[in-house]
Amino acid sequence: MVKYTLTYFEGRGRAEVSRLIFAAAGVKYEDVRIGFDKWPALKTSGRCPFGTLPLLEVDGKAIGQSFAVARFLANETGLAGKTNYEKAQVDMIAYAFKDLGDEMVKFAFESDEAKKAELTKKFLTEIAPKTLSAVEKLLEANNGGKGFFVGKEVTWADLAFLASTDDLVQFKDAKLLAAHPKLEALRQRVSALPKIKKWLETRPETPF
Amino acid sequence: MPKYKLTYFNFRGRGEVIRLLFAAAKIEYEDVRIEMENWPNEKESGKFPFCQMPILEVDGITIAQSYAIARFLANEFGLAGETNLERAKVDMIADTLEDLVKVIYRVYLENDKNRKEELLKEAVTTKVPSTLAALEKVFIQNDEGFGYLVGDKMTWADLVFLAHTEYYCSEPFKQYGLLNPHAKLRALRERLLGEPRLRRWLNIRPTTDV
Repeated sequence: MVKYTLTYFEGRGRAEVSRLIFAAAGVKYEDVRIGFDKWPALKTSGRCPFGTLPLLEVDGKAIGQSFAVARFLANETGLAGKTNYEKAQVDMIAYAFKDLGDEMVKFAFESDEAKKAELTKKFLTEIAPKTLSAVEKLLEANNGGKGFFVGKEVTWADLAFLASTDDLVQFKDAKLLAAHPKLEALRQRVSALPKIKKWLETRPETPF
Repeated sequence: MPKYKLTYFNFRGRGEVIRLLFAAAKIEYEDVRIEMENWPNEKESGKFPFCQMPILEVDGITIAQSYAIARFLANEFGLAGETNLERAKVDMIADTLEDLVKVIYRVYLENDKNRKEELLKEAVTTKVPSTLAALEKVFIQNDEGFGYLVGDKMTWADLVFLAHTEYYCSEPFKQYGLLNPHAKLRALRERLLGEPRLRRWLNIRPTTDV
């Protein structure tokens, strides 16, 4: 029995896609969450290959970088796509949501109020809508968008999307998913998968 | 034999690791380069899923996102790592270097002279040294860093590294000797530059600033 330990801060952030993969695959793991005050010690401990979180430790090996971790877990549990083509399409869609996450980080940590407002507005009126339109098109290209992003089964592309929507729905006024009914339907569909539903109901509630 | 078509700017940029993959695997492909002034028109053609480049077209399928393309080709050509764990290490290194190159691109893209100098100084005193130091450490854990970054054959992580060292070793970064403290990384770069299939590509490819 392989032992997995996932370490991250006390939030969804860049670890949630991996937690969703563990949930979807029904694989047990140690979900370690550390407070910001504990981070400096961990960062200099040498456990994190590039000094970042999330960190996956498995069988004495350490993997960093959120998508390296997610893709590894997806490949181990059959949630990565069935062929190299499918895997590439999964990657492409997952990266689109990673880019969205990176854009959110830009204004989340901006201290200048005016700049923050500007970046937030650009995100909500240009960047997010553009990405959501593009991924909705890709969803529609797969069996009319009635299933999942790639192939016939759920993959970590759907889970990266779900993790991303956790953040997007916080912008209540922008109603980002309202303009994309197929994406909203996908969100419902993925959230309703029994193992995912259980995780969503039992996971810690966190601001990020 | 599938027909591959890569479309990107006439830069190395985010296309070069893909071109290096084709070179390493000795696989033919169409290397389409769009000039900056033609991009606004091309962008609207509808064939770019995210209105961005690079894209790879193969067997009627279009793949966007440079690392989705790179990983796809690496998987097709056996240059991705031999096990899931090796593949994860390759991904980790590639993503880390991607984070680093964004810092480097910001220096290139900054037009204000003073701000450019500021960004340059910041990059060469913080992010670049710390990342390269961590990379050398990870490299040494792999058979003492005498071979390739992951496993015991070349992977696309080595090609990302090679493509990025071209920035560290040219202006405005060259004067800071960013690879000087890292003997193993310097040796890896030399080893890669000496690989015949890569050498051939480096000799014939168009010369571009970035």
